[in-house]
Amino acid sequence: MLEDELVAAHLQELRRGTVVLACLLVLREQNYGYALLDLLEKRGFGVDANTLYPLLRRLEKQGLLSSDWNTEEARPRKFYRTSEQGLELAAALTRDWDQLDAAFRTLKGEQ
Amino acid sequence: MSLTDRYIDAVLRRLPNKQRAEIERELRASIADAMEDQSETEVLTELGDPAKLAAGYADRPLQLIGPRFYLDYTRVLSALLATIVPAVAAITGLIRALDAAPVGQIITGTLGAAFTTALHVVFWTTLAFAAIERLPDLQRELSKPWQLSDLPEPPSRKAKFAELVALTVVTVLTASLILLSPRLSWETDANGQPIGVLSPWLWETGMVYVFVAVASTGLLVAFARYYLKWTVPLTIVATLVDLAAPLLLIWLTVTDHVLNPAFVAAAGLSGGTVRVINIVLILTAIGTILSSVIEAFKRVRR
Repeated sequence: MLEDELVAAHLQELRRGTVVLACLLVLREQNYGYALLDLLEKRGFGVDANTLYPLLRRLEKQGLLSSDWNTEEARPRKFYRTSEQGLELAAALTRDWDQLDAAFRTLKGEQ
Repeated sequence: MSLTDRYIDAVLRRLPNKQRAEIERELRASIADAMEDQSETEVLTELGDPAKLAAGYADRPLQLIGPRFYLDYTRVLSALLATIVPAVAAITGLIRALDAAPVGQIITGTLGAAFTTALHVVFWTTLAFAAIERLPDLQRELSKPWQLSDLPEPPSRKAKFAELVALTVVTVLTASLILLSPRLSWETDANGQPIGVLSPWLWETGMVYVFVAVASTGLLVAFARYYLKWTVPLTIVATLVDLAAPLLLIWLTVTDHVLNPAFVAAAGLSGGTVRVINIVLILTAIGTILSSVIEAFKRVRR
């Protein structure tokens, strides 16, 4: 019987980095922090708020996301959107993911 | 002041000034959004330690020294500890000994100096590496990829054998000279009998035989080192035996039991000359101690 802690540690290791790709893909449509948190959760990419918020800022600083303050509604919100560069990176990461997936299938003996 | 205000304050306090306004605005909006579904307590608890969140925003490492520099850190630290600490201890001991301090004071002074030095070495090295960890520009300068040429050279067996032969010759010669010294002196007393260079006290107490025995054991251990497989216990025993002779020499010198007072008088040596002889003896002993300790460190690391 595997220990839960051990499984959790390896899962975390495996998932590290997938949140970036998920953000880049989901933000092809602009969105703001809290709604994004909710959306990612629904799409199967559970991520903590204290990880996501700094990550959005970091991706923006790297030029992979662009942002706009929407002040029209009662509460001003910062909307993020994947930039041109971000789309390029998303394409590269997706290719890599697909290759990995194919490689795993081969390893497992599937065609 | 609401809990949210206090939380945001705690985050912003840890961020650079120019980032604060933007992050405050964003964080307030996110917390307000979340509070439409959950209570303030739940929202803030989920956001977690404000220090951790701030570190995430500022891209600060949450470790003192990361894996990139950890090995360099331990290497530098052990090299400094293995050289500076014994050197400072030896110099402190020497100065106390030359001041003719009591043996107890020499020992406590030396240990105290060694401890203080070790603390300083650890503190400043750690501080320097923690700073490197936080300065990206410096990191690029300092991190060199490891190369195969960085592998330590294997010790040459031939060179070790030459050392062994030299050690045997020196030990046998020294032991013979010491044992024969009462009859080999060029100074004679009123009856024409030679006056030994070394203190008769050494023979009266049998200390000279202890000294020769210790030196011979050192030789024996050197042979064991050459022919036996190396283990940590053997290294420790060998190092302790290596240290015994120089420590004994220091003690004999400090307590003024090396030179024969009658010989000093007959040869007309001044107090200054005797002092210089004592210093040379102690320095030789300290040199031996240092080389033994460094050798032991190298062995243990291999």
